[in-house]
Amino acid sequence: MKNKVGIPRGMFYYDYYLLWKEFFNNLDVEVVPSPKTNKDILNKGVHTCVDEACLPVKVFHGHVDYLKDKVNYIFIPKFISIYPKEYCCPKHLGLPDMVRHSIEGLPEIIDPEINLRKSDKTLKKAVLNTGKYFTKSSKKIYRAFNEAYNQFFKDVDLMSRGVVPINAVGLYDDLSFNIKEGNETFKRKILFLGHSYNIYDDYINMNIVSKLKKRKTKVITAEMVDEESIRYYASKLPKRMFWTHGQRIVGAAYALIERRSIDGIIYVSAFGCGLDSVLMDLVERKAKENKIPFTLLTIDEQTGEAGINTRIEAFLDMLEWRDNNEDNFSTYG
Amino acid sequence: MGKYYMGIDVGSVSTNIVLMDENNDVHYKRYLRTQGKPIEILKEGIEEIEKEFGSVDILGVGVTGSGRYLANIIVGADIVKNEITAHAVAGLNSIPEVKTIIEIGGQDSKIILIRDRIVVDFAMNTVCAAGTGSFLDRQAIRLGVDISDFGNLALQSKNSVRIAGRCAVFAESDMIHKQQLGHNQSDIARGLCDALVRNYLNNVGKGKEVLSPILFQGGVAANIGIKKAFKEALGKEIYVPDNYDVMGAIGVAILAKEEVKIKGKTNFKGTSLYKMDYQVKGFECDGCSNVCEVIEIKEEGKVLARYGDKCGKWSNAINNRDFKLA
Repeated sequence: MKNKVGIPRGMFYYDYYLLWKEFFNNLDVEVVPSPKTNKDILNKGVHTCVDEACLPVKVFHGHVDYLKDKVNYIFIPKFISIYPKEYCCPKHLGLPDMVRHSIEGLPEIIDPEINLRKSDKTLKKAVLNTGKYFTKSSKKIYRAFNEAYNQFFKDVDLMSRGVVPINAVGLYDDLSFNIKEGNETFKRKILFLGHSYNIYDDYINMNIVSKLKKRKTKVITAEMVDEESIRYYASKLPKRMFWTHGQRIVGAAYALIERRSIDGIIYVSAFGCGLDSVLMDLVERKAKENKIPFTLLTIDEQTGEAGINTRIEAFLDMLEWRDNNEDNFSTYG
Repeated sequence: MGKYYMGIDVGSVSTNIVLMDENNDVHYKRYLRTQGKPIEILKEGIEEIEKEFGSVDILGVGVTGSGRYLANIIVGADIVKNEITAHAVAGLNSIPEVKTIIEIGGQDSKIILIRDRIVVDFAMNTVCAAGTGSFLDRQAIRLGVDISDFGNLALQSKNSVRIAGRCAVFAESDMIHKQQLGHNQSDIARGLCDALVRNYLNNVGKGKEVLSPILFQGGVAANIGIKKAFKEALGKEIYVPDNYDVMGAIGVAILAKEEVKIKGKTNFKGTSLYKMDYQVKGFECDGCSNVCEVIEIKEEGKVLARYGDKCGKWSNAINNRDFKLA
């Protein structure tokens, strides 16, 4: 029987799924992703996870729970660092262990440690440790990874030109992020900011993107800004940002604010997110200095959309109001 | 026979209806408790209007508040607007040079910054309702004080007691602790007012430049204890407009007037709608694992609207208006 590896659709899924999928496929392993987040998955996640965790971690637990009877292995890498001298969120560091101790009846969990803080040599080890479940030949494993890696970077390149990788290969049926200039008229551009697992999971963020699109708003995400600009603008911070995802969020926002290529910023944050409490404030201050409207939407387990709708509508109304009085530059509060 | 514009604000705690003339003067206002039955209360309000005015000529209707989509389905509104825009419009109508609007309602609190008659920034409370009207309601019950006497009670205090205001649950235990220590009721009431204001300024008003003139509106503006606490905390004069409790409804009535001027006619179904029979049915769709909670509203047995489904299977099936909501 062919080996099946389950990949939960949560956390770093939105950043690395393509890489993982290619790698496993190259090793002749079937990849089973969990479906898009739904009420069932959310409920299971909330039920199994420790109650102090943030919403995306809970949702991730739900995805693991969904997969547990359907696959031989579940792939949950232990992300410690993906960039020299930087770290990931502490919740990533402990993710496989958290899952292991919260959910019963799990298949074997493949949890290679990804720690590129000091050197990228450990990546090789992580790749080998993952591949050895399926083949003894380290040569085969490395080749599988290198091919996947090259393909992945082609996708990342597409991303900076405005296409999210999950869309680039047509795996993602929802094309709401896939923006093509010209074929639609947009009234304004909004940067939809936050961690990828909050931005691209349209169940937990209550489909904000389609709400914005209905009002003729072009949605831009941090992933659509090229890495070079992100690093350059993030380096302008007085103190080095040591969270890789913080670099991306702050760098992308600063780049777009300074280039004045957006009309507003909507930041989506999961309730209780420690990183966001800092990042959001950095972005808000910068936005204020440059008179770019900013609003924060906090998401948690609530499914009533009234609160989110009111805030989005009011935000767009405000932008319209300001547009209609363009020559009227006021002192921003 | 009077000609009026109607504004309806269906909020979590109160449902407000106003009738306003061409010059934005309010001729009738009604503040009703929603009590979780928005449709019935709405019908009741409209029935009262018909009884009081006989037949009235309603030129246009606007709806706002968290129940605005539902109200739109029932009455047939010309404009459906969010509370922030509605409050800003009403605030500007009351004091044209207003720079800051503080609005505290039942479940949410907002700050709206206006410069040169334009909304330039706003903020609302996040997921938590501490620092809103419900917080005070709840603590007043704990103290055994009627909410309408709460402000006066707080004013009698000579010495404020510090109560934690960050979270309603912590506030309650802190308050009980202070009661056990023997602090008198008026000091505790003042402490709660200070706690609410502190929480508001730290949470909703964080980083916002509060400039005068400042308008304080929403149901909580009735509480003179809170008004005083704001005045002390900000060191600035606070204005409470005459119709502070129905500002959302006034704002949306003004917007309805503008809308009807462009459109030429109103969608309003007429005041006799209170005689109609509305049935609301909720059910769980079992089409997929989302198990959406779908709401269906019937008017005289005919399906008016369905909403709550993510995929549109139910809401699109009737396709008479855009009713997608929570």
